[in-house]
Amino acid sequence: MKPELFEVWGDTVDGRHLIYSIGIGAIVSLGAFFLAQYLLVGWVDSLQMARAYAMLVGIVGCLAGGAISASLFKPKRNVVEHLADPAWRSKILIELQNEYGPLGSLSDLPPATIAELREMDLYDLFADYEKGLDTCAKSLDASPAAAVRAVSINGGRS
Amino acid sequence: MIAPLLDQILIALGMGILGAVIFAGIGLISGSDETTTLAPLTLLVVLLGVPAAGVLTFFLAGAVAKHMTHAVPTALLGIPGDTMATPLMREANFLRNLGVPHIALRKMISGAVIAALIAVPMAVLFAVMLAPFGDMIKRAAPWVFLFAAVAIAWFSKGRLAAVLTLIPFVMVIAGLQSITGQYGVKLSVSYFLGIAIGPLIAALFSMLAPAERETMRRQEVRTFSLSPDVKSWGGFFPNPLKVLDSKQSMWTAVTAVVSSATFVFSPVAMTVIMGEVVGSRVKHVYHRLTTVITARNGVTESTYLAEALIPLIAFGLPLSPVAAGPAAPLFNAPPRFSVDTATGQVHNLHSLLSTWEFLGYGMLAVVIAILIAYPFTMNYAHRAASYVSRKISHEAVISTFVGLILVIGIWEGGLLGLLVIITIGLLGGFLSRFLGFNIGVQFMGYYTAVLTVPALVTLIHA
Repeated sequence: MKPELFEVWGDTVDGRHLIYSIGIGAIVSLGAFFLAQYLLVGWVDSLQMARAYAMLVGIVGCLAGGAISASLFKPKRNVVEHLADPAWRSKILIELQNEYGPLGSLSDLPPATIAELREMDLYDLFADYEKGLDTCAKSLDASPAAAVRAVSINGGRS
Repeated sequence: MIAPLLDQILIALGMGILGAVIFAGIGLISGSDETTTLAPLTLLVVLLGVPAAGVLTFFLAGAVAKHMTHAVPTALLGIPGDTMATPLMREANFLRNLGVPHIALRKMISGAVIAALIAVPMAVLFAVMLAPFGDMIKRAAPWVFLFAAVAIAWFSKGRLAAVLTLIPFVMVIAGLQSITGQYGVKLSVSYFLGIAIGPLIAALFSMLAPAERETMRRQEVRTFSLSPDVKSWGGFFPNPLKVLDSKQSMWTAVTAVVSSATFVFSPVAMTVIMGEVVGSRVKHVYHRLTTVITARNGVTESTYLAEALIPLIAFGLPLSPVAAGPAAPLFNAPPRFSVDTATGQVHNLHSLLSTWEFLGYGMLAVVIAILIAYPFTMNYAHRAASYVSRKISHEAVISTFVGLILVIGIWEGGLLGLLVIITIGLLGGFLSRFLGFNIGVQFMGYYTAVLTVPALVTLIHA
């Protein structure tokens, strides 16, 4: 059967697994809490303390419920290990421009930051953007970001 | 004379290490809110009878360590580590998409180290300066909180909508309090948990409504790009001042000092505002992203430390959002610690520790947390993020939080506690999603209901 995927609280879950997990979490945590309370109230002198210990056991129960769910249900994530590809990076520049306005010029930066940009292979990206900005001033049709995209696809490395 | 002091220091050291290790681990799990994790565990430590110095170092070391490791999911996976990490998401995501999440991570935790070290002496200094005005502030507290609530609502995404929404929201809390009061149940942690976990409760309810469920449906799993491990420094313990440039260190220090003084405001709001102030003063976008994320994560540390320490040292009353939330058990944990607002009688860390002890144990806690969480995050962030994202399913995280809602609700107020969490969570979650009435404003709404409403009622009847 094809899993039904939903986005809940910032990540993807399988509907059926979610229902089971909630059930497991509820039963294990409350089970631990009530059992501890039942056993401790007769055993520890102060009722307040007995309930505090029972809460600690209940919190451990929450973690146990989570651990059981984690071992039963695998994450619905596709984790890939790579740097963002250069074509995508130039798209980010457009987003940055939309969010913050003009990106500023590299000549304003202190040497430490320039060195950091070079180390991260980002210097050329911003330099190309500025070059694109200059050509853009001459011909209104080409956007600076388009110029960056063309350059990065050819010459970027990730 | 010496032996008991040594005992105290050893206990403080041990509890500090315990707090730092536990919360460095919790920080790695995305969505593990500070209030829902720090408050119950600190309460437990208080009720177990740990000496005052140990209680203080446990809480402070835990908070500092958590606000370092919360940078791991925030920077490497693009999921906020906790509530305080949400204002960092925009910068973190841009840096991640530029392919340099490890830069975001290192800058964040280096900012945290600097700010935490500055915040403790600053907080003690401000507390000493404020202490003579203690009585005046105690009397004006309800109005201070009302003013802060309106200001924070105005600066939230909701603007006027958020300011006006405060009124019905406060009404609901006041109403719930009088209902539970009729059964002799007085709740506080349940409200915090409800507010903090509101978005999850709202999402789970949404799944039950057919139309909403369709909008939440996804055809395929999400892809997270975890960046490869890049280690570009030697040794185990890199110098934070070398990770940051001089401008970034300077802004981190400035915002740490400023946010240590503004202890009545919501820490999330302070983090947002300080970031905007810094961002408007840095021209190049890359430098702006890295400087803002550094300063913001510094503020998550300094504002937390100051908001816990200043009210504790100067007043002994929980007069700040952190003091009333995650740090509440340091003030009020009956039967061991108690605050009587009517008579002003206080028996808690305020009366158990001197100002010098606060400074000494505060610095001890910060140093312990830095020694544990900073090298851990610098060296093992990639492995930790990889483990969490590949092994811990979101279902498991939700399962843990559902358990937490049930245990804390029933522990604090039985069925009524549970119902309060669900009511506040559902309402707050939807108000936050549709009106921009965010969690920070909701917390201020709670303090308004608890402090300002009774004062207003007295004023009207007088």
